[in-house]
Amino acid sequence: MLAYTFKRLLAGVVTVWFIATATFIAMHSVPGDPLMNDKAVTAEIRANLEKKYGLDKSGPEQYLIFMSNMLRGDFGISFTQQNRKVNDIIRDHFPVSATLGLLAVFFAAIGGIVWGALTAIYRNRLPDIIIMFLVILGISVPSFVFAALGQLSLVKINQLLGSSVIPVAGWGTFGHMLVPSLVLGLGTMALLTRLMRSSMLEVVNEDYIKTAKAKGLSPIRIFFKHQLRNAILPVLTVLGPQIAAITTGGFVVELVFAIPGLGRYFVQAVQQLDYTVIMGTTVFYGAFLVFMVILVDIIYGFVDPRVRLQ
Amino acid sequence: MTDSILEVTDLSVEFATYGGRVKAVRGVSFDVKAGETLAIVGESGCGKSVTVQSLMGIIPMPPGEITGGVAKLNGKDILGLTSKEANEFRGVKIGMIFQDPMTSLNPTMTIGDQIAETLMVHRGMGKKDAFDRAVELLDKTKISEAAKRAKQYPFEFSGGMLQRAMIAQSLACNPSLLIADEPTTALDVTIQAQILELMSELQRTENMSIILITHDLAVVARMADRVAVMYAGQIVESGTVDEIFYESAHPYTLGLRAAMPSNKTTREKKLTPILGSPPDLFHPPTGCGYFARCPYAMKSCEKMLPPECLLTAESNHQSRCWLQHPDAPEVQELFQPARTQEEAPDAG
Amino acid sequence: MTDSTLLKTRLQAVSNLDFSPSDTVQSAEQISRPSLSYWQDAWIRLKKNTRALVSLYIVIGLALFTLAGPILWQVDPALQDLNQLSQAPSLPKQAIFVEEHTRWEGIVLENFPAEPEAFLDVLPAPTNLRTAETATTQAVRIAWDPVVGAGGYAVYRNQHLPESINDLGLPLGTKLAGNEVSYEDRLNVEGRDYYYSIVSTDGYDESDTYITLKVTPDLAITKTEALSRGLITEESIVANGETIDLEFHPFGTDYLGRDMLARLMEGARVSLFIGIVAPFLYVMFGIFYGGFAGYFGGNLDAILMRFADFVVALPFLLFMILFKIAFGIGPGESGVLPMLIALVLLGWPATARLVRGQVLQIRTQGYIEAARLLGAKDHYLIIRHIIPNTMGVILVTLTFAVPAAIFTEAFLSFIGMGVAPPTPSWGSMCNEGVKTMLSHPHELFFPALFISTTVLAFNLLGDGLTEALDSRMRSRE
Ligand SMILES: Nc1ncnc2c1ncn2[C@@H]1O[C@H](COP(=O)(O)OP(=O)(O)O)[C@@H](O)[C@H]1O
Ligand code: SF4
Ligand SMILES: [Mg+2]
Repeated sequence: MLAYTFKRLLAGVVTVWFIATATFIAMHSVPGDPLMNDKAVTAEIRANLEKKYGLDKSGPEQYLIFMSNMLRGDFGISFTQQNRKVNDIIRDHFPVSATLGLLAVFFAAIGGIVWGALTAIYRNRLPDIIIMFLVILGISVPSFVFAALGQLSLVKINQLLGSSVIPVAGWGTFGHMLVPSLVLGLGTMALLTRLMRSSMLEVVNEDYIKTAKAKGLSPIRIFFKHQLRNAILPVLTVLGPQIAAITTGGFVVELVFAIPGLGRYFVQAVQQLDYTVIMGTTVFYGAFLVFMVILVDIIYGFVDPRVRLQ
Repeated sequence: MTDSILEVTDLSVEFATYGGRVKAVRGVSFDVKAGETLAIVGESGCGKSVTVQSLMGIIPMPPGEITGGVAKLNGKDILGLTSKEANEFRGVKIGMIFQDPMTSLNPTMTIGDQIAETLMVHRGMGKKDAFDRAVELLDKTKISEAAKRAKQYPFEFSGGMLQRAMIAQSLACNPSLLIADEPTTALDVTIQAQILELMSELQRTENMSIILITHDLAVVARMADRVAVMYAGQIVESGTVDEIFYESAHPYTLGLRAAMPSNKTTREKKLTPILGSPPDLFHPPTGCGYFARCPYAMKSCEKMLPPECLLTAESNHQSRCWLQHPDAPEVQELFQPARTQEEAPDAG
Repeated sequence: MTDSTLLKTRLQAVSNLDFSPSDTVQSAEQISRPSLSYWQDAWIRLKKNTRALVSLYIVIGLALFTLAGPILWQVDPALQDLNQLSQAPSLPKQAIFVEEHTRWEGIVLENFPAEPEAFLDVLPAPTNLRTAETATTQAVRIAWDPVVGAGGYAVYRNQHLPESINDLGLPLGTKLAGNEVSYEDRLNVEGRDYYYSIVSTDGYDESDTYITLKVTPDLAITKTEALSRGLITEESIVANGETIDLEFHPFGTDYLGRDMLARLMEGARVSLFIGIVAPFLYVMFGIFYGGFAGYFGGNLDAILMRFADFVVALPFLLFMILFKIAFGIGPGESGVLPMLIALVLLGWPATARLVRGQVLQIRTQGYIEAARLLGAKDHYLIIRHIIPNTMGVILVTLTFAVPAAIFTEAFLSFIGMGVAPPTPSWGSMCNEGVKTMLSHPHELFFPALFISTTVLAFNLLGDGLTEALDSRMRSRE
C-alpha cells in the first residue's frame, strides 16, 4: 500500500507537469499582444512590463522561468490587477470553491448511496420508479437550469415567508452554501444513484449473498453487512473523477448565485485576458484534481481489502 | 421410516421468466437418513441446485415459486416459511456449501469474521469467543496456521482452502445435515480428492448426513450410500450405489455410465456421450422426459409419463421407465426384474 | 413419500401400451433457432425496448426539426418583432392599424389655476382617471379630473395592483401644473395589464392618496412598420383602426422580439452540429489511436496510453476555455469551430482506451491467431476482424458521447465562453433566457427543454443499445 501510494503520487507529479506544460503552450499560442489590453502603454512602461512578466525573453527561456516559478509555487502577478499576486487570488477564492465543491460531493455521495439502495430494495415498485424518473431528469437537465430553478425557488420561498430566511445569493453562512451545493451535486447524485442501483442489483445475485442466507442470517443483517458494503465499492471508485466534474461544474453555480469562488474569478480572468491568472488557476485546479483523484483512490484502498493488501 | 431426518415429497418449483414459466423441478421425492450420504446426480440444468435451494428457501422469489410438495426436517415442515422461521434451521440444522468457493464468500470480510458471524447469530456468542471458535473450526478442516488465516480475506486463499473454509463455516453449529452442491466441480482434481476426503472424515466424526450434488459418477461411487438420478426436473432412478451401478434400471443411468471413464475402460470400450440436449423446461414433455434422447424409446413413451415405482419388494430401488413394465421388450444391459419372459420375442 | 406398491401390480394396471419402437424423429438438435447476424439480433432486441425505441423516434424527430424545420417555418431568427417583445407562447395575435405617432398636446385646462391658490393640509387624489383614447402599444394616453389645491401630479405604472402608496411601481413622470391633467406613456408598452396611479402634489410634496386605473393596451402597428415587416403591401388598403394579423410566434419571442421557434431551430443546428460532429470525430480518432496502440502492443502501446492518461487528467472545462483563447477567439466572440477542435483534442482518450482494451482482448482470441497462421496481413486482420468486432462498443460510446458534448456546449455557452450572441445555440439561448427567468420563464424553458430532451433521448438510446448488444454478447458465452 505504501509503495502503491508513493507510485501514485509520483505519477501525479508528472501529470501536473504535463498539465502545466500544456497550459503554457496553450497560452503562448494565443495570437496578439498580451499587453494590448493596457491602455496608455508608453514604450517605457511597456518595456518595464515586459521585463516584469518575462515577455522579453525567448519561448524556451520563458518556459524555464515559468516552470521554476511553478515549482516554487509562485504563480506571478495579475495582469489586470497589478498589485495582486495570483497566489493571493487563489488563497482568497479557492477555499470558497472547495467548500462548495466538497459539500456538493458529500451531498451527491450520500444521496446517491441512499437513493440507490432504496431503488434496489423497492425494485420495480413505486419508490423505485419515482426515484429512477428523477434520476433520468437529473442526468438530462443541465446544471445551470438547476441553478436557475434553485434560485427561483429560493426567491419564491422568501416571498412566501415574507423575509429572507435563506439568502438567494452571496456567500458566508451555511444558509448561503446549502442550496448552491445541493444544486451543484444533483447531476452527480443522479449518476451515483444509477450506479448504486445497478451495483446493488448485481450484488444481490452474488453467490455470497446466497451463502449468507443459507447461514441463517436475518435479511437486515445481510443487507447491511454483506450487500451494502460490497455495493458501495464501485460507487467509491468513480468519486475521484466526479470530484473533478463537480469542481469545474461549480463555475455555473458560482455565477448564478454570485458566489465569490475561484471559478467565477477564472471566467472573469478569461474575459479580461488576464494571462497569469488564467495560467495559475488552470495549473492549480489541475493539480488539485489530480491529487483529489489520488486521495480518493488511496481512501478506497483502505475500504477494499483487495486493494489495500496488494 | 423413522430414521429419516429429511423427507421430501412431490416437490415442484417453477420460475416465471420473460420467456414463460420454467418448470425446473417437477415432482421430486426423496429422503435422507441419519448418517448417510445421498448423492443427487444428473447433467447440468436438470434441477439439482434448485431442488436443494428451494428446501433452504434461498431461491430468489420472485421469479421462483414452489408450486407443490412437502419437505419435512425431523418431522417439521420447512417449505414456505418466513425468513425468521427458516433461520431456526438454516445454518443450524442444515449447513450448505456451494459449487464455486471463490465467489461464495464475502470478499470484503475476513474468513474468521464470516464464520464467527454464524456463531454470533445462532449461538449468541460474543465476538471474541466466536472468533476463537472459528479458528478451531478452520483447524478442524485442516487449514494450517488457522489463527493467522482467520484474519485473512477470501482473495488471499486458494480455491481448495476456500472450500475448506466454507465447510468450516457450514459446520459451525453442528448441523445434522450438510448439503454440498457440487463442492468439487470448480477445483483441481488433486484438491477434489482432498475435499471429499475431508467431508467423509467430518461426516464420521460429526455424525451427520450429507446430500451431495454432483454430475460426476466417480464422486458418487466414492462417497454415496444412496443415489438419486435426476433428469429434466424429475428423479428417474434411485437406489443404493450398488443398485445404480450394477443393476441400472433406467436408460439415462445407462447413458451416464457409458459416458463415465472407469478403470474398466479399455481400448475397445469407448466413452459414449449422450447425444442431444435435455428438453426445454418451458414446455416439458408430457411423456417420458428422456424420450427425445432415449435409444430404446417406444411409441407409448412419447405421450405417457412412466410412474415412479419400486422394482422389487426387497429393496428400495426405484425407476421411472416403461421398460420396467412386465410386457416391455427386453434390453440387454438394463435391470428389468418385473419383465415377464414369455412376452419377450416380438414381431420385429 | 415413495409409493411402495410393487411395480408389477401397479404397472399392469396401465394397459393399451404400445411397446413398438418409436418412429418419431429423435432429433438431437431439436432446439435450434434461426441464426441471426449480430446486428439483426441487436435490432430485434432494441425494438423490444420501448424506452430506447421512443428515444430513437425523438432523435429522428430532432433531426427533422433541425433540417426540415427551417424549410417549413421560414421566419428569420434574427428579425426583431418590436411589437412582441418577450412574448409568451400564444395563438396568432392581431394588431390595430394606427397612424404614425404624432405628438400629443395633452389636456391643459384653461379655467383651472396652474398654481394652487392655497396650500391645503390634506390633498385628495384626483378623480375620474380614464384613458383619453384607446390604449395601444404605441401609446397609452390617460387623463383625470383636476384637484383643487394641486400644483402638479405624479404618474406611476405598475404590473400588479398596488397594495399601498409605496407599491405604485415605476415613476413615469410628473406634471408640474395643477391644470395639466393628462399623461402619455410610450415607455416599452406591451400588450399586457398595467396599473397606472396618479398622486397629486402641491408642487413640492406628494399627497398620501392615489387613484389607480387598470389599462390593457391593444397591440398596434403603424403602416411603415407593417410594410417593413411584410405584413401588408403598398397596394393593400387598410384603414386606420382596422386589425391586421401580426407574425405568429408559437413559442413566443425573446427579449429582443425574435421568434423563439426559429431561433430554436437555428440553435439546434449549432448545438447538434457540435453535439454530433465532435463526438464522431473524436471517436474516430480514438478508434485509430487505441486500435493502433492495442494492435502493436509493447512499448509503443505503453507510451501511447500514458499520453492518453495525461490528456484525461487535464481539467476538461478549463482547457476547453483555454483552447478557445488559444485559437484567438476573444471573449464574447462565437467560436463554433474552435469548440469543435477543442472537444476533439480533449475527448478522444476514453474511446482510445476502450478500443485498445477490446483489441487486446480480441487479439488473443483463437480466430485471430488462426487467421494470422493462415498468413493474413495485419491491415487485413484489423479491417476484416478487429474493427467489426469492436463496432458494438464503439456505437454505444458514440451514443453516450453525444449528450456529453451537447452538455459541454451548453455549459460553455451559458457561462459566455462558447457560442456567443447573436449566434443562437441552445446554450447561449439559456444564457440569455436566465436573465429574464423571473418575468419571462419561457425564454429559458424552451432551450432548456430541448437540451434536456436531446440528452435524455441519447442517454436512453445508449442504454438500450448497451443492453441490446450486451445480452447478445452474454448469450454467446
Ligand atoms: N433464477 C432462475 N430464474 C430462471 N430460471 C432458473 C433460475 N434458477 C434456475 N433456473 C432454471 O432451473 C433449471 C435447473 O437449474 P439448476 O437447478 O441450477 O440446475 P443444476 O442441476 O445444474 O443445478 C435450469 O433450467 C435453469 O434454467
Ligand atoms: S420410458 Fe421410454 S423413453 Fe423413457 S427412458 Fe424408458 S424407454 Fe426411454
Ligand atoms: Mg447446480
